Amino acid sequence: MRALVIDDSRAMRRIVSSILTGFGYEVRDAGHGGEALEVLNEGWVPDLATIDWNMPVMDGLQFVSAVRANPAWRSMTMMMVTSESEHTQIVRALAAGAHEYVIKPFTADAIRDKLALLGLLPQEVVL
Amino acid sequence: MTAFDTAERRRATDARPVITELIDEATIQSIAEQAWISLVGEEEVLVPLPAELPADVLSSWVDVVGPWTGSVVLTTGRRTAEELSRALLRDSAPPVLDEEDVVDAFGEIANVVGGSIKATLPGHSALSLPSVGASPEVRNASDVCRIDLLWRGEPVAISVQGALPALPSSPDPHHPADPDRSTYENEVPL
Repeated sequence: MRALVIDDSRAMRRIVSSILTGFGYEVRDAGHGGEALEVLNEGWVPDLATIDWNMPVMDGLQFVSAVRANPAWRSMTMMMVTSESEHTQIVRALAAGAHEYVIKPFTADAIRDKLALLGLLPQEVVL
Repeated sequence: MTAFDTAERRRATDARPVITELIDEATIQSIAEQAWISLVGEEEVLVPLPAELPADVLSSWVDVVGPWTGSVVLTTGRRTAEELSRALLRDSAPPVLDEEDVVDAFGEIANVVGGSIKATLPGHSALSLPSVGASPEVRNASDVCRIDLLWRGEPVAISVQGALPALPSSPDPHHPADPDRSTYENEVPL
């Protein structure tokens, strides 16, 4: 499975990528929503995108909306991974088309649990 | 009928909370501990003991804009900031951290701590992208909640500090603070 990690923090991209690689994902990353759209437009459409909210150039919510506007990317599962933890913001993200929401700080187990709920955890990791 | 702007009405409008009415040291410490466990490492401990910061410090912060407006500021020695960044990057840390690595990782810690603190505040607030450098100045000494911690024996300060100057004390028309000033009708709001 493929994952695209979108976060303006290199450190956070490394942390999330490391967790997902440990679950068997092939991972690419992007520093903001615009860069992530470039990856998608190359034809590299992942099974999962983890998306920070507050980013320069194009924020996470704008990215989610852009993806939802393109039927070719409908199969992609989008998980917000962000320090934005207000209930109204979570509702906004889910309404825009995000499937799941993980609040920073998080643990690898929290990511694993969310992926299991989404059916995106490889079988060998579940067992 | 003409509506008159009274000082009384302005005072009610201008009322704004200070951070000590909204959050306490124990909550900030709990938030910091959660962030450290998640970002820095499960075995990493923050000890609530004050210690003098070294001369060469670095701060990272995020701004919160809402019913309360201010900054969540982490300050520590520059070398400790580098160690924190290395701990956060774990296996993916390069042999030699460059300035950009430290700015990025140390800023992300402020982002996570600041986001959690914002979540405890009433109403909707916006969170800025993190900044790293010299700490923003304290504008109002009564609008600060600060904790001092030790991480690996090195001091780390977390300050939640208002960005707005103190409001003037409520004028009492019977006992004006300034004896030459008996009316506040023409006072300009901040």
